[in-house]
Amino acid sequence: MKKMSKLHARWIQGSLASLCVLLASVVGFQSAAIADETCMSPYMAKIVGQEDYVYIWTLGKEGVGDGQDKLVTVSVNPESPHYGKVVNVLSVGGRNEAHHSGLTDDRRYLFAGGLDTNKIFIFDVHSNPSKPSLHKVITDFVEKTGGMVGPHTMYALPGRIMVSALSNNKDHGGRTGLAEFTNEGEFVAAHWMPTDEDLRGAQKVGNIADGYGYDVRVLPRRNVMVTSSFTGWSNYMMDFGKMLGDAEAMKRFGNTVVVWDLHTRKPKKVFEVPGSPLEIRCAWGSQNNYCFTTTALTSQIWLIHEDDAGEWHAQAVGDIGDPSQVPLPVDISITADDKGLWVQTFMDGKTRHFDISDPFNPKQTYEHVVGSQVNMTSQSWDGKRMYYTSSLLGNWDKTGDQDEQFFKLFEWNGKELVQKFAIDFYAENLGRPHQMRFGAYSLYGQKPNSKGTMLSQWVE
Amino acid sequence: MGKGSKYLAVGLILLVSLVGCERPAEEDAPMPWSHAAQTDVQVIAGGWKPELPYDPPEPGSYTLPVVSAAGGGTVLDTDGKQWELSDLLGDRLVLLTFIYTNCSEINGCPLATAVFYKLKERFKAEPELADKIRLISISFDPRQDTPGAMKLYGGTFSEGDPEWLFLTTPSEEVLEPILRSYGQMVIQEFDEDGNFTGTMAHVLRAFLIDKSRNIRQEYSVSFLHDQLIAIDIKTLLMEDGVLTAQAGS
Repeated sequence: MKKMSKLHARWIQGSLASLCVLLASVVGFQSAAIADETCMSPYMAKIVGQEDYVYIWTLGKEGVGDGQDKLVTVSVNPESPHYGKVVNVLSVGGRNEAHHSGLTDDRRYLFAGGLDTNKIFIFDVHSNPSKPSLHKVITDFVEKTGGMVGPHTMYALPGRIMVSALSNNKDHGGRTGLAEFTNEGEFVAAHWMPTDEDLRGAQKVGNIADGYGYDVRVLPRRNVMVTSSFTGWSNYMMDFGKMLGDAEAMKRFGNTVVVWDLHTRKPKKVFEVPGSPLEIRCAWGSQNNYCFTTTALTSQIWLIHEDDAGEWHAQAVGDIGDPSQVPLPVDISITADDKGLWVQTFMDGKTRHFDISDPFNPKQTYEHVVGSQVNMTSQSWDGKRMYYTSSLLGNWDKTGDQDEQFFKLFEWNGKELVQKFAIDFYAENLGRPHQMRFGAYSLYGQKPNSKGTMLSQWVE
Repeated sequence: MGKGSKYLAVGLILLVSLVGCERPAEEDAPMPWSHAAQTDVQVIAGGWKPELPYDPPEPGSYTLPVVSAAGGGTVLDTDGKQWELSDLLGDRLVLLTFIYTNCSEINGCPLATAVFYKLKERFKAEPELADKIRLISISFDPRQDTPGAMKLYGGTFSEGDPEWLFLTTPSEEVLEPILRSYGQMVIQEFDEDGNFTGTMAHVLRAFLIDKSRNIRQEYSVSFLHDQLIAIDIKTLLMEDGVLTAQAGS
């Protein structure tokens, strides 16, 4: 057995002490980009090469296959003999309004929420990346959080998942909050959004603090957390056409973005951002202290940014398509170099690329019709692969021949998207595909035929 | 060359190699673990830097919720004496992490040890608080990190308050339930011939444990900074009534 020599130990001690002192005195230490899907938590382990699998959290539809919500695993590594094929389907029993999902910081587990039943399904994706298994189901989300409804974004923090909810169990409107769970799915804490009645110490920059919620992202280097706002259960579970014709329902959309102190979980500023700001994507660059969001109803790009004095601001910086036509921007994806922003618009089925080199002046450089409807996207770290799915919400998806349900892979060559494969989720009896997350053997010291072993790969 | 100069020289060599593997500034979110999907780009974690890049909160201006109960198990100190880990918790606030002595990933174990070192130095100036804090570094490589190896690794770091314990375990079988209880994933890496390379990929974690043996905070690479940990420690000391708000700030 190799033993550590005294010299080695002394070297370590001396080196550490010296290194601490030296690093403390060095100015201008910079760091470089390392991440995976460009919209993930910076706390998360990253895939920078080729992903092996995409896990697609899929809404069940009556009459399609078993009708249940399911996690669909697709092989996406061109070296795989199953490239472009569904390699595993894991139904979870019933329909829950499957929507968003998120990986833990160690990428061992995938949390996937049901907006209607409030269940959170925790999948083990590390024991066998090609065949996830259901590890645990959180069934007391409403009770544990003190009345939050609609677990939406699942965002990795160190050892925890931050869940942003969409609604509450009192009026099923949009007032809601954030909830923290351990990576094992144990409840830790709840944080309600600031409201006009209880700002919780926050400063109201605009005229309202509606208390609504949708997405959550963080900028650790600035100790900042950002949340956005959508609508409550009474709307997101309503028929889309009926809701559009209901003037009162249309008033119940969020119009705020909140900037929080990440460490203390206290809201700092409530910005008025009209038209339901949805997805948030923060820049990766060490000097780029800003995040983007897009508004669903007003079709604008908003920049949430910090000035040189450390104050945060929110401002509209551009339109997406023709806002008067309500193209309904849904998912967005920032490129790893912070120079590009992909924006999907549900109604016209388009994906649009904006040059955001100047974040205050985004310019559209490309657009492509992905299908009759499009919602989510996931981008590889190198920006060369763009994955798309079609479903928005069970009662909001298009109908008839416009109700295409697909998972598609495109390659981006910098000028145009080139489709590599598509899977028809109705033809495959799967349902309505929503959020995608990546998996890779490399994350777990594995390769097909690898001799690597996981010391702590236990069976619960 | 004196001992101090020798250490400085070693540090300089390390620093040069550190700078040499850097790339243009892009990202401040370091790689949480060492090998899963690393490129040739080396990221320097914020914990190596002297100050947080933002104004930190005041101690006691926030609460730290109970995350979960801290795990236990059989451990060995640097003299080979067997302990129940839970017996080393409870009388002081504990900051616990997992390391291995052969770890060379700059944002892995060296970062954890460096931040613990800086934390110890920080609290030397507050001796009335220093004796209420214990640092624990546990090896997740019991095959190589014997009690003697941990003693050499810890060296003079263990002297004085805050107390700093360097622990290992009798075997991987004994270690595994401890890792499991802290959710600490470790991957042993093997070469093409099936030989253990001595390298272990892992997610760097440190745990702040209160006197009720509950985990109150977890730190990963982006969070692990002595200044922030000191504020969290003072927040818990204020909760215990050991420290007043005025003294804490």
